[in-house]
Amino acid sequence: MELENKRESKVISKNIDVFYGDKQALFGIDLEIYKNEVTALIGPSGCGKSTFLRCINRMNDVIDICKITGEIEIDNFNIYKPDVDVVRLREKVGMVFQKPNPFPKSIYDNIAYGPSIHGIAKDKNEMDHIVETSLQKAALWNEVKDRLHEPGTGLSGGQQQRLCIARAISINPEIILMDEPCSALDPIATAKIEELIDSLKRSFTIVIVTHSMSQAARVSQRTGFFHLGKLIEMGETEKIFKNPNNTMTQDYITGRFG
Amino acid sequence: MSDEHIVKSYDEELQHLNDSLVQMGSLTEKLLYDSMNAITTVDKDAVSKIVESDAKINKFRSSIDQHIMTILVKRSPVAIDLRYAISTLKISQDLERIGDLAKGNAKKILPLPDDLPPEMLKRIESLGEMVQKQLKSTLDCFIEKSVQKSLDTIKSDEQVNDLATASIKEVLEFLSKDKKNLDFATNLLFVCKNLERAGDHLSRICQNVHYLIEGDYPQK
Repeated sequence: MELENKRESKVISKNIDVFYGDKQALFGIDLEIYKNEVTALIGPSGCGKSTFLRCINRMNDVIDICKITGEIEIDNFNIYKPDVDVVRLREKVGMVFQKPNPFPKSIYDNIAYGPSIHGIAKDKNEMDHIVETSLQKAALWNEVKDRLHEPGTGLSGGQQQRLCIARAISINPEIILMDEPCSALDPIATAKIEELIDSLKRSFTIVIVTHSMSQAARVSQRTGFFHLGKLIEMGETEKIFKNPNNTMTQDYITGRFG
Repeated sequence: MSDEHIVKSYDEELQHLNDSLVQMGSLTEKLLYDSMNAITTVDKDAVSKIVESDAKINKFRSSIDQHIMTILVKRSPVAIDLRYAISTLKISQDLERIGDLAKGNAKKILPLPDDLPPEMLKRIESLGEMVQKQLKSTLDCFIEKSVQKSLDTIKSDEQVNDLATASIKEVLEFLSKDKKNLDFATNLLFVCKNLERAGDHLSRICQNVHYLIEGDYPQK
């Protein structure tokens, strides 16, 4: 298939174990995420999918009792090497959370904050340009261009989430991690985010954790199913939802999990 | 795979679908038998009952269509459940077509000509029996969800085709001997052809049972 030929690895997880204190949350996760594709991670609550997502930009580092072994390579570089600059890493790997969390600042400043602390914009003109293109890429520009200096928190839930996506892409990341980005949104706002995800994959590699099976089926090219900290099955999304290889995957996605 | 969904009513809906299709299958079996019987015994009175049975089968088909639509809307089925919904939709279409073909055959009843070779009628009877046997195995393979049975039934459709071809040839020879048998022989040709087509629909049902279980169609 054409798709197969063009595929290029972006993230490779090698034998990742995660412990929270004595409790092991992930067991030897080996998986590959392809560039410019959307990879969905599904599984019941507590299965480790969000824990794994947070390994990709070392967000778990902020939890004291969390210990991680194994390797995650981004573009063939192990991000768990001791000398890795985590701030630089997170510049490359942005994140969007379940609940929209705009800063209590204006729409403009929400976007400008990242580029200014990372020193990305040379001057005001350049910053204006970044703010505009980020909002355009997040399909929010037309709705907010006349009120850029109003508070971001005054936007609707769906707009706030797109603002957070605009904020994430303003610093030119390569990978965007999304942890249930639509679970607090209504169906229309969800559809807009899904449409956005589809267009964003041209420029970014996206990993999305979702509880919505149909969302995983709609937005992703590959899907991984986690259960009790293990990756049970990873494969083409179409295959997973039409004819999965693993019985446990089938039981979960068809609602037979007891 | 665990058999039950967390949502019990989903299981009930799928069970209802299964039961409706099995019932539709038994009605089709009966219709095919009655239709062959009416032809060979020249029982014109049976036709109205056969037409009624066919209408009943058609109703089953639309009710199954509606039921599957409801499942798609309510449950957004995936994996085995999605394949189940899609396959039963197609299977009910094929059963309906078999019903139509059997009804069409019964409508072609004409008195048997005096010079009709008995072995010719025997052969067409055998063809009918063979298709009935195929229908039974097909329904069994759906009920048992058996991949092996579906493959065996698809394979034995070749015998139906061979017997249909031989019967058609025989009818044509009969026709060429005396043109006065034109009407009767033409109808008989339709009967053979319809039985052969019923066999093709049965093979398609088996292919869909295979798809339902395995997620792919059998290799030719």
